Amino acid sequence: MKIIVRSLVIALAVTGAIATSYANASSSKSTAMAPASLSKTSAMPIPNCPPGDPNACE
Amino acid sequence: MLTTQFLNSLAYFEVLFCLAALCAITLKKQWPEYWSLGAFLATRFLSDVILIPLLYLKHERVNGHSTASAVSAYIAYFYVYWISFALESVLALIVVYSVFRLAMAPLKGLQQLGMLVFRWAASISVVVSLGSAFAPDMTRTKYLIAAISQLQRTQSILTLCLLVFVCFAIRPMGLNYSSRIFGVSLGLGVMATNDLVQSAWLTLNPGTHTARNLVNGVVICVVLATWTAYFALPEPKRRLIVLPTTSPFLRWNQISQVLGDNPGFVAVGGMPPELLAPAELEVMQRASRKMVVPFPRSMSA
Repeated sequence: MKIIVRSLVIALAVTGAIATSYANASSSKSTAMAPASLSKTSAMPIPNCPPGDPNACE
Repeated sequence: MLTTQFLNSLAYFEVLFCLAALCAITLKKQWPEYWSLGAFLATRFLSDVILIPLLYLKHERVNGHSTASAVSAYIAYFYVYWISFALESVLALIVVYSVFRLAMAPLKGLQQLGMLVFRWAASISVVVSLGSAFAPDMTRTKYLIAAISQLQRTQSILTLCLLVFVCFAIRPMGLNYSSRIFGVSLGLGVMATNDLVQSAWLTLNPGTHTARNLVNGVVICVVLATWTAYFALPEPKRRLIVLPTTSPFLRWNQISQVLGDNPGFVAVGGMPPELLAPAELEVMQRASRKMVVPFPRSMSA
């Protein structure tokens, strides 16, 4: 049990670290800034378009 | 079509699980200890309850064009989503802080030291997030989104650090894997990892909204179900912590407990007698009289 939980936690931490470095590298290479570089952990869709133009992203 | 239906069901499940977790916290009288998690869940519940009807309204169309009410609904949806996101990020930071405080409760000295370090780290991270979100030619809306995203990333990294700490120090702190502290940390850790992976995914594949929403929906439902289960089931009592006298934990705890105490003061010199109390003067006079007693005769002879 202890080994399983510890492996899971290490896997989560390593995945998070790799994802952070990957996201940082990608965002520093890209010239155009993405409207949102993160989304809420939720089933609700992310509103990325500017509020005045809801069809801009469709 | 099937995917959209499944996504809608996930949104409803999210609301239900949020409510279930809130009920479990209330019924088990855990609000004093986990008020920050309760506030986080309440914010999520309220924002979801507002966002679901707005989501339906913003898809309203006539002849392929968005109606005026759909545009207004989108504006409302945009601000409710991002403001609730910012509130949840700040509340999640407070949840991490309170979980650390609860985990370290038996070792008061290390708890104080850790909380001090945490406060400084969190404050610096928030300032850096707000500063790094700024870029030239940026509109207010873009700055809002970028700042909230940076804040969320910072909070995710801090959460993962807490999870690793709780997991590896769980036995010395008298806890086990059925403890609510571990359950809350695990849920936060899964959410944090998901956030960071989404961040990388978003920069690589900006168009895959549906797949991302599906993963997000499933992850949040699993996390909320985990929290509900941890709060609904009885928690095992914390074990008595027994440390050897040579333990560095014990030594550091003792050192940390006295850190920050008000120091005592010693009068070095130049002290006028008026500063002393009469009793102190009497003691000093008697001591002086004893010091001038002549040598015994046998010695002087």
